[in-house]
Amino acid sequence: MSADKIVVSGFRHFFQSDSGRVQATGEIDVTIREGEVVTLVGPSGCGKTTLLKAIAGFITPSEGQILCDGKPVRGPGRERGVVFQELAILPWRTVRKNIAHGLEIAHVPKAERDRTVERLIGLMSLNGFEDRYPHELSGGMRQRVAVARTWAADPDVILMDEPFAAVDAMTRLTLQEELGRLCATTHKTVFFITHSVEEAVFLGDRVLVMTKRPGTIKAMLDVPRPGKGGRDWDSFTGDPEMRAISEQVMHLVHAERV
Amino acid sequence: MTRHLRDLRVLLPFAVLIAIWWGLKDGFGIADKLLVAPPQVWSAFGTLITHGILAEYAATSLSMIGIATLISFVIGVPLGFAVGTNRYAARSLEGFLRYLQGISGIAWLPLAILWFGFTHTTTLVIVIYTLIVPIIFNTMTGVRAIPENYVLALGSLGASRLRIVTDVYFPGALPSIVVGTRLGMGYGWRALIASEMLVRQGGLGDLIFGARTFNQIDRIMVGMVVIGTLYIVVDRLLVQPAETMTLARWGVLRK
Repeated sequence: MSADKIVVSGFRHFFQSDSGRVQATGEIDVTIREGEVVTLVGPSGCGKTTLLKAIAGFITPSEGQILCDGKPVRGPGRERGVVFQELAILPWRTVRKNIAHGLEIAHVPKAERDRTVERLIGLMSLNGFEDRYPHELSGGMRQRVAVARTWAADPDVILMDEPFAAVDAMTRLTLQEELGRLCATTHKTVFFITHSVEEAVFLGDRVLVMTKRPGTIKAMLDVPRPGKGGRDWDSFTGDPEMRAISEQVMHLVHAERV
Repeated sequence: MTRHLRDLRVLLPFAVLIAIWWGLKDGFGIADKLLVAPPQVWSAFGTLITHGILAEYAATSLSMIGIATLISFVIGVPLGFAVGTNRYAARSLEGFLRYLQGISGIAWLPLAILWFGFTHTTTLVIVIYTLIVPIIFNTMTGVRAIPENYVLALGSLGASRLRIVTDVYFPGALPSIVVGTRLGMGYGWRALIASEMLVRQGGLGDLIFGARTFNQIDRIMVGMVVIGTLYIVVDRLLVQPAETMTLARWGVLRK
């Protein structure tokens, strides 16, 4: 069994709003093991983004604690990369410079930086777009750049907050397959938030289901590991076991409709 | 061909203005002590040039606006960052800056003259005051318009606070900073001429106000034409290209 990478215990979060204290999440305990892909599915407003932000170190939990490799999380850090839903790559940097940004910050030598960027451009099918600016790319392409930038920085854990939600449905299928392949080849620890049941089952080694606000973890389902190259949608939809898991998750999520 | 036509269209209003001016002068036989004809202005221009007077006065004004822009930029941009990155400071200062914009630089002249006398310092203070507010204001607005995700994402890539300033805040706010500087230079140029008229220590404002004492209408009009021309030249040849470059290059307009 792999080591525990992220341990969330007794986490609860409140926001201060004009009308007083608002409870964003219920009590949450989650453990993410090294090298696994954990997906979290839940209704809108259940607090899943709050949980991700706390793991990323963007917010300080009101209650409980979050450990990364046994050390408490205090603020963002390069060992925990984040892919946002949108608007996170810098419009004044080319694709290449965006992907290399984390490596630049870490003072990685240019030759090594270029090698890493080349490899990710290949993995994310961005060939030919290296010197383009984000405004010249489609939404799907921009998300590929965002994913590549995070992977290039080589964090231990990658946190993804509905990264494909703003992308059209066709592109999303491709991106999901590409991400699956990337996870399978790089063995990263990934925590992925979504409100799509299929996406959660397709990508996850483990699927967590959250209740409606204030959200707590309601169920946890293991998904059999895909083969070496990750999954593809054709075999996924044809697999009765996958369909059974998806249905099960769907029932759990449906009960939480708001 | 079309390009030439467009260039001509820009000059058309000037031609109309000169025609009306000349027509009024000759048609109504207006006396020379009230209005002179374009050729007289042209010859006064020649005199001022050959005696090196115009160059000297224009150089004073240009160096003043240059120095004032530089100082305002160096002080205003960091101040704008400091205010823009702090939500509370931004909220409390916004009203104050707007209020200051209501008190024009010229309104500070009486106080400035009492404090610094009839000196270049007085003019510099007035011009910097006029110039710096739009720079601070636009820097602040530019910084605040940067999506939070840019900053968060960079933090997760291990960036330090300084790195976030150089890699996110500065390039992100640069188009606004350039816009603010351009605006400020326009306001500053006007304040400069006005201040020079009162301070009388050189500059184009001094030139035209001094000419009034001797009823040298031709010189006054030369001065006015030069004031307008220099503004357009500096704005179109220096500032606007910088603005177009930053805006177009980073696709901020097309986001």
